[in-house]
Amino acid sequence: MYRRIAFWICCLFLAGRSLLRAQEFKLFEHDVQVHGWLSQGFAYSNGNNWLTMNTNSGSGAMTDMGLNMSTRITDNFRVGALVYDRNLGKLGQWHPSLDWAVADYRVTSWFGIRGGKVKTVLGLYNDTQDQDFLHTFALLPQSVYPTDLRDTTIAHLGGDIYGRIPLPRQLGDLDYTVYAGHRSDSIYSGYPYLISQFGILPKSLGGLQYGADLRWSTPLKGLLLGGSRMDQDTTGKGSGVNPTNFAAGVVPYSEFSKADWTNQFYGEYEVGRLQIDSEYRRYLRDQMLWAGTSENVTDVRGWYVSGTYRIAKRLEVGSYYSRYSTTSIFWGALAALVPKQTDISLPANHIYDKVITARVDLKKFWNVKVEGHFMDGYGASNYPDGFYLQENPNGFKPNTNALVVKTGFNF
Amino acid sequence: MQFLKLLLVVAGLFPFVPEMALAADIKVIANSSVTIDTISARELKNVFLGGKSSLGGAHVEPVLEKGGLTHQAFLKKFIGRSDDELQKYYLALVFTGRGSMPKALASDEEVVAYVAKTRGAIGYVSAGTDAPGVKVLTISDATGNPERRLTFRVEPEYPEELQKRSIGGTVRLKVTIAATGNVENAELLGGNPVLGDAAIAAVAKWKYAPAASRTTAEVSIPFDPH
Repeated sequence: MYRRIAFWICCLFLAGRSLLRAQEFKLFEHDVQVHGWLSQGFAYSNGNNWLTMNTNSGSGAMTDMGLNMSTRITDNFRVGALVYDRNLGKLGQWHPSLDWAVADYRVTSWFGIRGGKVKTVLGLYNDTQDQDFLHTFALLPQSVYPTDLRDTTIAHLGGDIYGRIPLPRQLGDLDYTVYAGHRSDSIYSGYPYLISQFGILPKSLGGLQYGADLRWSTPLKGLLLGGSRMDQDTTGKGSGVNPTNFAAGVVPYSEFSKADWTNQFYGEYEVGRLQIDSEYRRYLRDQMLWAGTSENVTDVRGWYVSGTYRIAKRLEVGSYYSRYSTTSIFWGALAALVPKQTDISLPANHIYDKVITARVDLKKFWNVKVEGHFMDGYGASNYPDGFYLQENPNGFKPNTNALVVKTGFNF
Repeated sequence: MQFLKLLLVVAGLFPFVPEMALAADIKVIANSSVTIDTISARELKNVFLGGKSSLGGAHVEPVLEKGGLTHQAFLKKFIGRSDDELQKYYLALVFTGRGSMPKALASDEEVVAYVAKTRGAIGYVSAGTDAPGVKVLTISDATGNPERRLTFRVEPEYPEELQKRSIGGTVRLKVTIAATGNVENAELLGGNPVLGDAAIAAVAKWKYAPAASRTTAEVSIPFDPH
């Protein structure tokens, strides 16, 4: 494992310079830009194993990468695509996916349309959560950006309408995005992994996703405020053993949404070398399971406050406090088997994470981050949130401290 | 005595070390297809951050310099981000499919040549650069008043002692311009005080285009000892 990390670091450094020279070429008289990134992390924790890795022993199974090509066809028309791959413990498992592939026609500053597989705008960082090099932190606050659930919000196959509207009287600018499409989850993501512990093997998961985002660049220099709303109507299919009828053996499994929405509110303030962010997300999912014989309502609430400060051109430090809680109630056939989880003071229903980070940019294209997490709770009820029974078969401990070291390269 | 003078010069430099990153007066240039003649600072920022793709009904696209004093001065004055922060901003657009990296060129001359031949291009160069084949845009302030156009400029004399000792930097002045265009007053805002005296002496001779009333402007003058 350590040799593999060293190997990746060497690759990053050696590949850097040659790739930097290869980032633009001509194709049919159009300039084609090529960009990419690669990051490799290492995580060690006491307490519980985290993020589907065996972090108690130290794990380097934390790699992701992306390669993007884009070109402008006319003044207003651009096309591009990005291929993404990751391996995070048991998630991703090196199965590359088309992260986005977009045709974008910007009619004017206040009105544009884009279609294809489009990144979903949700809060400050949903669409850039994979691009490690854009952020000070090695892991974004997991209460709002759970890395094991990235697939559920990352992109939709459909279209966006977007634009920027300048407000009169120097009141700033409004950016809006309205979107609708089809979300499709990888079966190597957190939710399928969670339900596999109950003996369910999902084959497909996804459905309608639509919503909007509105953000206001206020007249106060550096202050951005915004809100996002997302609604979903998803269906999952697979097979499994129904716990209310073991005798039937493996039978078809299905689930579908009765209600599924997310509200997110956020603010960002940049002054000099200091940046302060805060976001609140509420996710409510009312889901029918086992062909409608059971119902599960999950209410997830998360918020964080973060601050980063650039001490020197190549050195940043940061800290955040991230607070996550979840409740889960079953009705129908499963209600007799799964107790209600409504007490968020229990460690099984919350994660409060205090984080400190230092980021050093060794080169313009190469950064190293060292991050400490001090977590109270493990939140392992019936919703994926970083701690899984598969990696913690002897049960969970109430507290977990983790060290994450990550290096990333981009061009 | 000479040592004391040098000490004063160096001591005067220290509080303003970050100002050395600042730089020259800038002019914003555009391809002839750009229909406007005046652009507000807010519009300019929006063009360079990808929020505005058209001005006056015509397509526009930003052109950057790869580095240097002009680039730094432009970012500080109009964009409010460092070069690294701006690159990150562009990469966020690129990796989410919302934009491309703007063209970045190595020198004022390359920017002028590219802007001249590229429809919709808007770039920036140092004020003293010859800019044939492009239009120079007037930057208006927050109230919509255009910045005063400089019609006559005298370059400051570099103090010999400082140049010999390779002491340079950028001086920032607050200049009060009469309605007639004469410079009424210039005061030092930042930079080495000895260089500041030389800059004030030169700026006092500058002439601006007449306007309806007295205005003030902030002027940055670089001193490069090499």
